[in-house]
Amino acid sequence: MFHMGVFTSFKPPEWAGTWSGDTDVTWSNGYFWVDMVKALERAKFDYVIFEDSSMVSDAYGGTMDNDLKYALYAPKHDPMMLVPLLARHTSSIGLIATGSTTLLPPWHLARTLATLAHISHGRSGWNIVTTSEDRAAQNYGLPKLPEHDDRYTMAEEFVQVVTELLGAWEPDALVMDRETNVYVDHTKVHPINFEGTYHRSRGPLNTLAPPAGRPVYCQAGSSPRGRDFAARYADTILVSAHGLDEMKTYRADLRRRLEEAGRDPDSCKIMFVLAPTLGATGQEAREKKARAHRQVEAALGSLAAITEIDFSVFDLDAPLPPATTNGHAGYLKEFARVGEQHATLREHIQNWSISCLDLVGSPAEVAGQMAEAMDYVGGDGFLLAGIGSRRYLTEITEGLAAELSTGGATRTEYVSTTLRENLMSF
Amino acid sequence: MPDNRFHLAWFMNFSSFEWNGPFSGNDGAVWTDGSLHVEMAQALERGGFDYMMLEDSSMVSDAYEGTSRVDLKYGLYAPKHDPFPLIPLMADATRRLGFVATSSTSLVPPYLLARRVSTLDHLTHGRVGWNIVTSSEDRAAQNYGMAKLWEHDHRYERADEYVEVVEGLWGSFRPEAVVRNRDSHTYADARYVTPIDHDGKFFKSRGPLNTLPPLQSKPVLCQAGGSPRGRQFAAQHADTLLASAFGTAKMKAYRDDIRTRMAAAGRDPDSCKVMFIVIPILGETMREAQEKAELASLATDDLAESALGHLSALTENDFSIYNLDEPVPTVTTNGHTSTLADFLSLDEGNTTPLREHAASWTIDSLPLVGTPDHVAGLMQEAMEEVGGDGFLISGKMNRRYIHEIADGLCPALRRRGVIRDHYEHEYLRDNLMAF
Repeated sequence: MFHMGVFTSFKPPEWAGTWSGDTDVTWSNGYFWVDMVKALERAKFDYVIFEDSSMVSDAYGGTMDNDLKYALYAPKHDPMMLVPLLARHTSSIGLIATGSTTLLPPWHLARTLATLAHISHGRSGWNIVTTSEDRAAQNYGLPKLPEHDDRYTMAEEFVQVVTELLGAWEPDALVMDRETNVYVDHTKVHPINFEGTYHRSRGPLNTLAPPAGRPVYCQAGSSPRGRDFAARYADTILVSAHGLDEMKTYRADLRRRLEEAGRDPDSCKIMFVLAPTLGATGQEAREKKARAHRQVEAALGSLAAITEIDFSVFDLDAPLPPATTNGHAGYLKEFARVGEQHATLREHIQNWSISCLDLVGSPAEVAGQMAEAMDYVGGDGFLLAGIGSRRYLTEITEGLAAELSTGGATRTEYVSTTLRENLMSF
Repeated sequence: MPDNRFHLAWFMNFSSFEWNGPFSGNDGAVWTDGSLHVEMAQALERGGFDYMMLEDSSMVSDAYEGTSRVDLKYGLYAPKHDPFPLIPLMADATRRLGFVATSSTSLVPPYLLARRVSTLDHLTHGRVGWNIVTSSEDRAAQNYGMAKLWEHDHRYERADEYVEVVEGLWGSFRPEAVVRNRDSHTYADARYVTPIDHDGKFFKSRGPLNTLPPLQSKPVLCQAGGSPRGRQFAAQHADTLLASAFGTAKMKAYRDDIRTRMAAAGRDPDSCKVMFIVIPILGETMREAQEKAELASLATDDLAESALGHLSALTENDFSIYNLDEPVPTVTTNGHTSTLADFLSLDEGNTTPLREHAASWTIDSLPLVGTPDHVAGLMQEAMEEVGGDGFLISGKMNRRYIHEIADGLCPALRRRGVIRDHYEHEYLRDNLMAF
């Protein structure tokens, strides 16, 4: 069996499409994602993960026009505030939200993580990002982001502080002894006295120990530094690697790094991002795919935002020139690698997707292709992206997911009500 | 006809309910999933409350005895969970009740706070507020990597700028920006979204905020400052204040002072609702209520220890060094200056043993003991004398008490016409300002 998840954002979903309903207005009340997680839980998905960012981008063309027009990176709301609402309407699916190691105070984040772990009964998780935009840093008073590799060094210390804080209260510190009138036993609560290069925190947290041990850590870093980081800390990794061979190579590389870090390679579930096009028949799906055209400006705008490269200055009818970034380094590298097969930037961007594979077909066809891909790659699962409407959501849960579980490729029941146990059950 | 209605709110936090009383149920840990608070929110909405106020702090105290024994034994300052994630849960189960959560200007980056509150404003459909604190414990500062907190008045200077940044960020994405034009595929118009480019004495933030403009014209700002600097801050910024003043004369003096300061700051004094902390003790008969009140303040060693533990944390003085049988000592603080002053002033003659003095320590503004109707009458009289604006209930948190208030006291108040019998508006700010 392999795992299934969904990758999404707390921002306007596809708001101007045929099937958008009133999400252009209502997205910020959160119920689009309540409906989403309820459906995904019915389909026994492992988790949903919310990416996040903290800026309005003006990288494309030097203004915020493009970003706001297409609602690419803004408006976007804090997904940690959405997690509780989603937890209220579900009982078994995992809920992972992003928090930045560059911007946030570690004690503050650790406390929120512990709080969410209790609210969700052990189903919440943290997607660890170092943040990739100077504009975000500037919102927090920094002149710019630290250098890419430095950010990872800082992140390692940050994760250490957070992890120690989350462990500062022993699980049995809560005694509730009516005889002695003691609620919590102070001998089981310990300051951490962390003194690092970048962070200091005395601790402890003021929260009870998370109910299911340390919350699940998620990460998505494809640069060499990012991969090392993931190998050390992540319980699950999101990957955008294009093509079966690239996927297989990536997974093998990660598993090697996990072993080098002294971990069982099976203890980290590698999830490949996928955005399949579905139809009742293969023909319907292919026609749908052909109709879909990516707004070039929107696509380039997205890339611009996370790399802070102004893609508006490049000639669309020429190949992509060499470029580097202090932002999403691995992502840009992958974009460039895939671009080598296209003669022009226009052609490249129109075909570009974060999806690892180009899967188009009926639920049965796509399910079959996914199962074959997993066999070839070796594991561990797929993370579906681009769910911008309820209609598409149901194509996935009532079509694709149903085919996968009937065919034995994915679980038919959860083994636990905690994210970690479900994730590690195979 | 003049409107003699006043407001109700509840002063609480995201921590344990009473776990060891006769009506505490059998699960002293269930509160952590928020379900008890959700139930309570529904009860308060039934009672017509304006808002729940979730106070907060960021440390485990070891001020008493140099260990966290007493703090954790009585659950004084810990465990206490982040109140912000509780809000969407409670909002999901209610329609009109407001939720105010505490966040510190000394510890939390302003952009983070601005974004959280804006997000919650939309998740609650305009029912969120922020209780502004500057923090008062060095242990909290040390959790955030600082050696200690800044001095009291300096913290308020920083807080003034912090509020400026947050309000600037909330205003940086104008409502006119939200276009949602399907034909031109334009969600928002950048002409109405502007960086704030704040580069101040204490804070720097470029902006703009990446959230939609709040539904409320501005999220509600709450504060509790008794010191002169605190009152000045309140007069400038607060839409609602929490106050603890002993007796109607002092309540009136406090409110009048705030109103005078607001007028001097160019604000309409009616635009800030002063809420006085009270702990009503209710019974089916007057005698039952009186017995309950006596039992609650019985000077047991545990009650004294718990009160002194609390005071030690608030003032960062170790009250454990004093003899419980001796009179109250003299102390000063960089923390809650007015709380300490109030505690000391309770015993002007300085002869009461510390144990009894501690056991009788309360932040109650006036004693409210009796049947629901009797207490409702006392509240009505007090409000007539003071001038307004409402009460902040704070009592032992258990289901029985919550329903005594919501299903006993509130209907009695409603029958006297002194609290709302329905919510006139959708948003917290509008309901708060309705009278």
